[in-house]
Amino acid sequence: MIFLRRRLPLLITMITGLLFAGQYYVPHPSSELLLTSATKWLQIIGGFALVLGITSLFHQHAVKIRRQEAGWGYSFVLYAGVFVTVAAGIFARGKESFEGAMTGFGWVYSFMLVPLQGTMFAILAFFIASAAYRSFRARSREAAVLLVAAVIVMMGRVPLGEYLMPLSGDVSQWILNVLNASVRRAILIGVSLGAIALSLKIIFGVERSYLGGGKE
Amino acid sequence: MTLSERMLKIDRRIIFLVIGLCTLLPLLYPVGLPIKISPEVRSIYDYIESLPERSVFLLSIDFDPASKPELHPQAIALLRHAFRKNLRVVAMTLWVSGTGMADQLLTQVAKEMGKEDGKDYVFLGWSSGGTAVIINMGQDLYKAFPSDYGGKATKGIPVLEGVLSLKDVAYAISLGAGNPGVEAWYVFGKDKYKFELGGGCTGVIAPGLYPLLRSGQINGLIGGLRGAAEYESLVGHKGRAVAGMDAQSATHFAIIVLVAMCNLFYFSLRQQQGRSRELPVKRGH
Amino acid sequence: MDATTLGAWVATGLTLFIFSFLYKDNPLFKLAEHLYVGVSLGYHIVKIFDSVVVNLIYKPIVEQGEIALLIPVAIGFLMLTRYVPKAAWMSRYAFAFIVGVGSGLAIPRTISSFILKQIEDTVRPLVSMAGGDGLTFSMNLLNPASNLNAIIILIGVSSVLFYFFFSIEHSGPGKVVARTGIVFLMIAFGAAFGYTVMARMSLLIGRLTDLIEFSDASYGRPTLWLAIATIGALFLLGRRSSSSPPQSE
Repeated sequence: MIFLRRRLPLLITMITGLLFAGQYYVPHPSSELLLTSATKWLQIIGGFALVLGITSLFHQHAVKIRRQEAGWGYSFVLYAGVFVTVAAGIFARGKESFEGAMTGFGWVYSFMLVPLQGTMFAILAFFIASAAYRSFRARSREAAVLLVAAVIVMMGRVPLGEYLMPLSGDVSQWILNVLNASVRRAILIGVSLGAIALSLKIIFGVERSYLGGGKE
Repeated sequence: MTLSERMLKIDRRIIFLVIGLCTLLPLLYPVGLPIKISPEVRSIYDYIESLPERSVFLLSIDFDPASKPELHPQAIALLRHAFRKNLRVVAMTLWVSGTGMADQLLTQVAKEMGKEDGKDYVFLGWSSGGTAVIINMGQDLYKAFPSDYGGKATKGIPVLEGVLSLKDVAYAISLGAGNPGVEAWYVFGKDKYKFELGGGCTGVIAPGLYPLLRSGQINGLIGGLRGAAEYESLVGHKGRAVAGMDAQSATHFAIIVLVAMCNLFYFSLRQQQGRSRELPVKRGH
Repeated sequence: MDATTLGAWVATGLTLFIFSFLYKDNPLFKLAEHLYVGVSLGYHIVKIFDSVVVNLIYKPIVEQGEIALLIPVAIGFLMLTRYVPKAAWMSRYAFAFIVGVGSGLAIPRTISSFILKQIEDTVRPLVSMAGGDGLTFSMNLLNPASNLNAIIILIGVSSVLFYFFFSIEHSGPGKVVARTGIVFLMIAFGAAFGYTVMARMSLLIGRLTDLIEFSDASYGRPTLWLAIATIGALFLLGRRSSSSPPQSE
């Protein structure tokens, strides 16, 4: 049982990992066919992974309603939203427009999902301003450097800043293309090295937390 | 409480009101300052200008409604340019919640420019799997998307004639708001299938894409609303991005003034606290 | 009232409900928030069914006879056993497959794109200085491809990489390099903050542009009336909450 529950999954990870890492270097047609099939399979399995995420959210709110926790009425609003959207989607066969005209599903998307999601993220603008006012203080030399760079880029990226001080546009371009690019390059190299180390640990079975599902 | 302490502890709703007014007023009473074009946006424009007619142009609309204000104007300006150059446009998305938006904007611009679905453009829609979709398109486009968004089989569509995979794409642009986005299109796409790649992105992830721009892995970068405004100016059809630039200027200056004020009060408070600590020592003498 | 006008009123109302959070957390915001999650979930469900089940599974298997696709469908169902406590161990096979294939695909591509290519581009401009007719050196700061900037980029990349190398002590000459790295990092973070401010403000500009568009008389001025209604509702809710606490005690 240990073999089926623990060893076999780890073996599958190692074999598939090594196989597809090696596939990159083999130009033979059968290797290309293997890649095409595998990515096609990943597309289908990716859909199931999304289903997993959705069912977990459903479960969370169902528990809230069952236990009548604080704010459980809003969970009903959530379910109503799901029901109305899915019903509209079934009626419109999953399409937002049909022969140029907007369907009911398209209406729900354009006049409910788009404004709701857009506004949720738009209110962040207010919070960034409030946070900047409260905490963006030049407490040390490094913080002062950060502050000056931020002000130069904020000025240089808007027409008013370039109009009042044309140098700010050129300096902010230099900061972005040279200084910022070098730092981001170093971070990219470092993060990629870390990601590869983690992937190798996963392939060779050193890192097992991704398996989940059960006690062993 | 001294003035500095009071100002540092001000109710944050006053700051919200200031930002709200700085955004609203320039939108109602625009000024229209000139916009300078940056080299990274111009290189995308020049590359599309250099493409011969009927070249295959792939536009991957990899964002959701949360990033619509920044990337939607970029998509519209790029599509207007591509249709004006009579390129064959293949559009798709890797973000599920962006599908409806992508379909709507493509249909809107195509109708405006008099282009026909199937002959001049095709919308492949969304497929799950993220980076697996990119690899699959690089291997065999028709395996990744057996049908277009309307349900028609992709094999045999006139606009995809001669296109078997990403290797047959002349230029691809990914308008990305995160992952999967521009970086994924390079790592899983251009690295092996060798098509030319450009990028458009939100202001949050733009600084992180400059290393790829410098190394030539992407040949241009349209960053945020400012990038969209620059591209609209280049294409000669000013839209929402240019209209939003005055509000952008006002809010940036509001933030600069707020940060300057915060530091002014902070340093004045520090000075006052330093002086009040000195006094008892002097009295002791 | 046609669909577009109704849509304008609904969109404006929902936008204002969410903006009401800026005043304080209130039932209108909670309503809009839960509605957002519900509609988003519903949209995902419809799209998964349309794009994955119909186009990727049903049509290829039933209409084109690709029976081999039943294997990934089986693997996908194995993944869903994660919610059945007794059978949850079977989901390990699905995750093992996905993680294995994903890691295998990512490793060589990441090495090629983000490590080798990036290092190559840092070093190559320096090599290009030694041309056929001797050493050349371009000093134009405004041109990112000039040799002076190439040297600055090299200093930046190496000092930041050295700063993050915590396995050795940053003392002596190492301390100078690490401090240079910190200065470069602070400038880059400052630039990132500036760009983030731009991004967030752009999102707000987009929403307000829509609100202004929907304030037009052709839609019946929803922005004006719903703004008055929202402020009124907030006022009433505020009065109700300030008068009810004494009763609960």
